[in-house]
Amino acid sequence: MGNCLKRSAADDISLLRGGNEPTRESSADPLGPPLYSEIIQPVFYPSPSVSRPASHLTEEEQVKIAKRIGLIQHLPIGSYDGCSKKSRECVICMVEFSVEEAVRYLPCMHIYHVSCIDDWLMRSLTCPSCMEPVDAALLTTYETT
Amino acid sequence: MSELQSSLLLKKQLAELNKNPVEGFSAGLIDDNDIFRWEVLIIGPPDTLYEGGFFKAHLYFPKEYPLRPPRMKFVTEIWHPNIEKNGDVCISILHEPGDDKWGYEKASERWLPVHTVETILISVISMLADPNDESPANVDAAKEWREAYPEFKRKVARCVRKSQEECS
Repeated sequence: MGNCLKRSAADDISLLRGGNEPTRESSADPLGPPLYSEIIQPVFYPSPSVSRPASHLTEEEQVKIAKRIGLIQHLPIGSYDGCSKKSRECVICMVEFSVEEAVRYLPCMHIYHVSCIDDWLMRSLTCPSCMEPVDAALLTTYETT
Repeated sequence: MSELQSSLLLKKQLAELNKNPVEGFSAGLIDDNDIFRWEVLIIGPPDTLYEGGFFKAHLYFPKEYPLRPPRMKFVTEIWHPNIEKNGDVCISILHEPGDDKWGYEKASERWLPVHTVETILISVISMLADPNDESPANVDAAKEWREAYPEFKRKVARCVRKSQEECS
């Protein structure tokens, strides 16, 4: 029970990006297969300043992160249409959006590159532009629809 | 956000600041080969005790910038309630969210990935003009600022003079 985040294959954030991040292995030990603990695991941030490899998370932190991943997956992704009313660049990486590029919409309607905002949301569930808490806003939309 | 993206973002900011300098400070790198370590020169804001001073500070960006904040440290000696005696700047926007050691900072006042060198320095300059009495990093300076203002002024004036000598 509660170990669903222990292995990198299951529920990690790479699912959000199409799972194209290869699991790298430590090449430190030429004498035999690397120990489990030496395999490079995805790192999670139960709080923004706390980083822990997946296998070192407490059960409570695993639940928190699983919930967060679930919530992020519920945020819609659209393709940027170049509409002049929307912001023209991603304020996280300061790179302009190109037409048809995948952008994530937060409940406050601010848009970001999917990878830029997902990395941030895994640390803090707030919109970097207006500081609206994403989880609360999402719950409100559920209640009103 | 990879290290490459972080360095691109910082390079972009450096180029922009070189092209369109912002009033109140100038910015460059400590070592031209290391985009993650900046040196800035802050001009003591007019109409404050720090007016006339030139304060050098360093910014150390983590490889995870902008997901994580830089650390900022004054290299020039400076006497201020929110700057530690060793120069470390204690300002809420440089604290990570969820990292509320003291329990009174609002999430909105803490680090956000939209902060740039420019927004950080604007906050620091406004902090020089208007110290935050609630979270003193230099307790002695905070106490003087509240209870022995003439002495506080004298110490700041000494730092301003010293900074002018170092700069000339």
